[in-house]
Amino acid sequence: MLTTGDGSMETTVGVYFCHCGGIITEKIDPALVRTAVLEFPHVAYFTEISLMCSEEGLGDLVRDINERRPDRVVIAACTPREHEKTFKRALAGTAVNPFLLQVVNIREQVAWVVDDPAAATRKAVAGIRSAVARVVHNLPLQKIEVPTRDETLVIGAGPAGMQAALNLAQSGRSVVLVEKHPMIGGMPVRYESVAPNMECGPCMLEPMMDQVLHGDAHDRIELLTMAEVTGVKGFLGNFEVTIRQQPRFVSEVNCIGCSMCVDACPARTPHPYNCGMNDKPAMAMPFLGALPNLPYLDMDACVRATGEDCTACRDACPIPDTVLLDDAARTIERTVGSVIVATGAGLFDAGRVPQLGHGAVPGVLSSIEFERMSSPSGPTAGKIAAPGDTEPQRVAIVHCVGSLDKEHCDYCSAVCCQVAFKFNHLVRHRFPEASITHFHRELVFPGKEAGRLLLHGLHQEKNSFVRYGRLADVRVVDQPNEREVQLRDGAQWTSAGRYDLVLLCPAMVPGDDTAALSALLDVTTDRWGFFEELHTRMSPTQSKAAGIYFAGTCHGPGDIPHAVSEGMAATAAILSSIVPGRMMELEPIRAEVIAERCSGCKICLSVCPYRAISFDEANGVAAINAVICQGCGTCVAACPAGVITGAHFTSEQVYAELRGILA
Amino acid sequence: MSDATATPTFEPRIVGFLCNWCSYAGADKAGSAQTPYPPNVHVIRLMCSGRVEPEFILTAFREGADGVLVLACHPGDCHYKEGNYRAYARSQMVERLLTQFDIDARRYRFDFVSAGEGEKFVNVITEMVNTVRELGPVGRLDAVMAGAAEHKAGL
Repeated sequence: MLTTGDGSMETTVGVYFCHCGGIITEKIDPALVRTAVLEFPHVAYFTEISLMCSEEGLGDLVRDINERRPDRVVIAACTPREHEKTFKRALAGTAVNPFLLQVVNIREQVAWVVDDPAAATRKAVAGIRSAVARVVHNLPLQKIEVPTRDETLVIGAGPAGMQAALNLAQSGRSVVLVEKHPMIGGMPVRYESVAPNMECGPCMLEPMMDQVLHGDAHDRIELLTMAEVTGVKGFLGNFEVTIRQQPRFVSEVNCIGCSMCVDACPARTPHPYNCGMNDKPAMAMPFLGALPNLPYLDMDACVRATGEDCTACRDACPIPDTVLLDDAARTIERTVGSVIVATGAGLFDAGRVPQLGHGAVPGVLSSIEFERMSSPSGPTAGKIAAPGDTEPQRVAIVHCVGSLDKEHCDYCSAVCCQVAFKFNHLVRHRFPEASITHFHRELVFPGKEAGRLLLHGLHQEKNSFVRYGRLADVRVVDQPNEREVQLRDGAQWTSAGRYDLVLLCPAMVPGDDTAALSALLDVTTDRWGFFEELHTRMSPTQSKAAGIYFAGTCHGPGDIPHAVSEGMAATAAILSSIVPGRMMELEPIRAEVIAERCSGCKICLSVCPYRAISFDEANGVAAINAVICQGCGTCVAACPAGVITGAHFTSEQVYAELRGILA
Repeated sequence: MSDATATPTFEPRIVGFLCNWCSYAGADKAGSAQTPYPPNVHVIRLMCSGRVEPEFILTAFREGADGVLVLACHPGDCHYKEGNYRAYARSQMVERLLTQFDIDARRYRFDFVSAGEGEKFVNVITEMVNTVRELGPVGRLDAVMAGAAEHKAGL
């Protein structure tokens, strides 16, 4: 059999014509096509099959090819988008390589759209002529097989990352779970309750965190807290990852979490997990109940940083070799097959709208500050108080701080209305007589559960609702012992009430690490700065880089069920794409540089949408990574020397097809 | 197959380079809807419009095409992220080149057709066929060369 694709005259082509059960032949006359086609160079025979995609039709096709043994095959039938794959699979039962097939679309693009039967028949003949001319230049190609690693890197141990790590570990896969904070659980573990059901945040997450730390599959999860990914090289199936882990100064193995070191610590520093609303010792638990149950030493805040030889924590510790004052940062290297990014989102800085008074007017709190204030593990041990440690009887809740606002974030942050009504619930529960005013723009409560929260808040006698138009028309003014919310109408600011507490519900924005991490992973971010999906609706957890997935709010606002589902979805994608012991199969439609003729101009590097092309400095030539290459052919068209071949779409093949059309 | 003569019966031959994911699917969509359109456009399917080399277009004209179409995914929709932008950029150059070769730029058209736009595909094809039919057959290369020689002689 000829495999050179040089279009040699001895190459034989078998042409198969599908009647499509009479649909094609209603317009195109097979007898006329046969007469014309048998005149074309290379064509050895013309066989008609009444319905080629049927089991019987495919059987006839395979049998006929095996009997007549053509070098190449042309099939005139429906669109290749429908059955090219079916026919390629059928060719596996013959000696003809699946890429030595050319399909001519004589149904969707001829029979169904050409009115005049004679014109339709002529167009079908031209199509077959072109396919025959091309197919003799086709080359036999094999699927590319690549060995893969089945370990997964999960970045971020919030609900999305933990769920992904658990599913992977439970299926027998090894996971490296990297968390930059000293504790796991993400944002909701810091909330007194989560919307819409007012469930206690830590209680809801505890079983999941317990599974990660102590569950049946925990030994397959390597949890690295206080750690960040600092380098990623490679591609689907083979990523080399570098992780930098900061010192905890406490042995994770020996520590029993008794907190005696915490009680002994003389240094104080603003509490990072309580938004600086109170102080904590340098040696401290992140907050009460944080998991893993281990303190960490903030060396920047430790008196040792000022040169003092304090060993109070080590002296207080009942277990030897547990407080490790000479602990140091370490670099950890791992090789994984896939990556799940679950780094979460950030909150819009309300200080960017100075007239709202956040940070300047006492009693104006952002949502996370109020979450911590209302939490038993927070700065006031759960006591909700207005400035001066007074009971708040008048509370304003400002919705949409930054959301749905062209000047800030033009999207809806999806959860803040529920957060606002959750705050309403928390205040109402503690202070039944308090008056609560919602300053809102839209009220968004989709889904089967959130509606109850909405109705519950809407129908409270002491609640009132004020709809405002633009955030720029809302301001908070500091008054003696109270704060006044004012609204602007035209040039006039008028009072909309005086309050003890003003709670702001800021938009969800891309997490601080997003830009740096996207550069490390070589994935894109969208116009808002979130990680960008391959397709927001159809591939919502997949990045544009093969083998890298997103879960949770790192790629856009969402709630907890959304994050958990995406953790599972990303896992499913990994489990189905990388199977231990099985080579990864890739379509051979890939670009390749003919190295000996490459001039090293690097133009191809700049046009590749996947950064699949690197420059081989030693030899001064471009090199394409076949695993990363998706076969679009943009570099092939861009190469000024014409030395990049696009497999199955070579220039020679395209020109042959073109000449076949215009012959 | 009609002879290329500049009479009202002139049937132009037009080559269309279509990307697999959007425009080819759009053409199939017109087929599924069984919307008739002129049979003059012959399609070459490529994975991405970014694969279209300017030489493909020039060669098509040299080999006798009366018109050439390049159809791509809409901006932002490219299956390969940005191949359509490359195709668009190259298109701008091709249009200028064609004029230099004395080929009317209206014989070349770049457009965006999505997988759902069967109707737009039919409109683009119909307009293109009508335009090229009015323009008549493309000038043969020898005629162009003769024109160039004449131009040179006049200098």
